[in-house]
Amino acid sequence: MRFPSAGALALALAATCAVAAPDAVRKEIADRVQAQLPQGASVDEVAPDADALVAAGQKLWIAKFKDKASLAGCFPNGGRRIVAGYPQYDARLKRVVTLEMAINQCRKAHGEALYEPTDPATMGAVLAYVRSLSNNMKMAVRVPAAAEPRFEQGRRMYFTRMGQRNFACASCHLQDAGKNFDGVALSAAVGQATHWPEIRAGVPVTLQARIRECLELMGAAPFAAGSDELNDVEYFLSYLSNGLPLRANVQRTKAE
Amino acid sequence: MSARATVLGALAIAAALPAWAQRPASALELFVQRDKGYCIACHQLPAGSGPASTSDLGPRLEGARMRALGKAAIRAVIADPTVANPSTVMPPFGRHRILDAKEIDRLVEFLDALP
Repeated sequence: MRFPSAGALALALAATCAVAAPDAVRKEIADRVQAQLPQGASVDEVAPDADALVAAGQKLWIAKFKDKASLAGCFPNGGRRIVAGYPQYDARLKRVVTLEMAINQCRKAHGEALYEPTDPATMGAVLAYVRSLSNNMKMAVRVPAAAEPRFEQGRRMYFTRMGQRNFACASCHLQDAGKNFDGVALSAAVGQATHWPEIRAGVPVTLQARIRECLELMGAAPFAAGSDELNDVEYFLSYLSNGLPLRANVQRTKAE
Repeated sequence: MSARATVLGALAIAAALPAWAQRPASALELFVQRDKGYCIACHQLPAGSGPASTSDLGPRLEGARMRALGKAAIRAVIADPTVANPSTVMPPFGRHRILDAKEIDRLVEFLDALP
């Protein structure tokens, strides 16, 4: 009778039990996507109606609060070239901070009403503008050691089957990435976080709003936008896109 | 038309609505509706059997292949495909009560009769 070697056992245990380092997780998923879809899964196009939206966002970005501060004043360099590093891990809060959350932290600190995280007229417009200031920067999200549990939680959420339809995000966007679902090519996990908000008929749709649409389709009650659950998923997805260029204000015509 | 006649007409329509609403969905409706099977999102049908699609998450549903599988196997796969293949993306339509037993039966007959 032959027994599996200790090395094989260790590998099997590592695959099932251990929490892999974020870098190893990203490499494994990126290699898998590259093997499945060497040509990529999607084509982004700059939205033809993004200019008005960006202008509306700029107005909100530079508008003075009651205390004469502004969103622009809350971020380094007025918000130029900062977005590729979001989401970030806040060691003091022990939470993932998305760009939307940082914007609302600024408003709260200055006594202003918070934006709804997926509201197109406020948060969507502001995101469209501030992301345009980082267009084509390479995604560079950091996961320090203290943040690895949040990254792992996001990874776990992405791979967990949910809802009446029993899909995981990874069912469609890793296992079947590039295939046609109801006539639309499914986007791959790597690259999903680069291009938000996506513009649909002039209306900005944030990444978390899009994830909520997926959860509805899965027959699951969607987590709230801005919840720790969706923030962790966004953190995981954004890290997977590291090294890819950030695309501001695109419409996606070939993939979802 | 008098106001009374309008009211009577509206009442007649309202009375007829529940009967219409309770009409069981046809197999093809079960196949395409988002809140039912929504099978069309993942599978293609033979030409002329339903809406054309480019979906390819699941295999093309050819009649000969369906009949080779047999009705019992088709019914089992629709009810819970994870029994035969734990990693499948296909939803467990019976186990998760997306479709009831009669609806699954109608789909089985529809698939078995495909060209």
